[in-house]
Amino acid sequence: MADTKVDEMSFEQAMAELEQVVGQLERGDVPLEDSIKLYERGAELKKRCETKLKEAEEKVAQITLGSDGQATGTTPVEGL
Amino acid sequence: MTTALLTHPDCLNHITPPGHPERVDRLMAIYSALDAMDHTGLQRLDAPMGTDADILRVHPQVHIDAVKAAAPATGMVALDADTHMSTGSLKAAYRGVGAMTKAVDMVLGGEVQNAFAAMRPPGHHAEKQTPMGFCLFGNISIAAKHALDVHGLERVAVVDFDVHHGNGTQDLLWDEGRTLFISSHQMPLYPGSGAPHETGASGNILNVPLEPNSGGAELRHAYERIVLPALNEFKPQLVLISAGFDAHRSDPLANLNWDEADFVWATQALCDVADTHCEGRVVSTLEGGYDLDALAASTRAHLEVLIERGTHG
Repeated sequence: MADTKVDEMSFEQAMAELEQVVGQLERGDVPLEDSIKLYERGAELKKRCETKLKEAEEKVAQITLGSDGQATGTTPVEGL
Repeated sequence: MTTALLTHPDCLNHITPPGHPERVDRLMAIYSALDAMDHTGLQRLDAPMGTDADILRVHPQVHIDAVKAAAPATGMVALDADTHMSTGSLKAAYRGVGAMTKAVDMVLGGEVQNAFAAMRPPGHHAEKQTPMGFCLFGNISIAAKHALDVHGLERVAVVDFDVHHGNGTQDLLWDEGRTLFISSHQMPLYPGSGAPHETGASGNILNVPLEPNSGGAELRHAYERIVLPALNEFKPQLVLISAGFDAHRSDPLANLNWDEADFVWATQALCDVADTHCEGRVVSTLEGGYDLDALAASTRAHLEVLIERGTHG
């Protein structure tokens, strides 16, 4: 199990490890005793991915277009 | 009628490494809880040794040979990351087999109404040629085949409410159309199998995964919607239960949130099925459960339902 703190991971790091964890759980190649720890690590990683996605969504800006169809600026999207 | 309680002190000689969750103290905790119970309606007896002929109904000879060969003369040996054998393990495992065939004999012979086998090592993870998940022999599958082949039954239901999928039972009964195997279990979790699309060679296996962090309400919903209708359609002549108590909210190896009342409810529901179709004939055996207090209280609650049904059923 990786030592990196989950709340310091990038989305890519968390997602990559989450995929690994899900694969291990699905293949059953983890001991019974450790299975619960692996599941809980997976749940933590999933939460981190969701947090990072939410942050990204909040940064998404709505592109405002002028009458000529050219981008004139950005307006933060609300309600995401 | 009464309830048979089968166990044996040999099961205390199956020693696992320090810190291992499947430990001697589990059975000691159960014994303490049983000692505090009113024994009216309970017939307590020593489990006999099972035989190779019993085991051969589900495992090939090569598996028996491998387990025997692995048994250490001194100390302990690890068969995989989870599964260990000490000098007393082989005998304990054979007691587990014998407990189940004896229990089936007693229940089908009309000596007792129902039976519970308080044994370890457990059995429901052991596959045809693979000891795993603390398990050496598939005790509950052996019991099912014993009821079919020796007693001539035609339909035996096996219900597994241990929090882990009963992959071993599924493997051993995959081709056995005279059995209906139903497993409810947390998913994802060890051993990774137990998806609904795993249905056996003839639709004789029913897997009912439960969401992590779900509790008694979800259990009851799943039983009422899926498990009980399937059992009632199957019309079993005997109901066998793989009674693991690790779906308890206090269990360290899983994330379900059942409590004693939920185990009582499930046991009553399965006894109701048995009452409807097979004169209340139920044989139950211990599988997992790793929080000692929760294990002791849940086992006692489960057994009290069996006794109540045996006395008043």
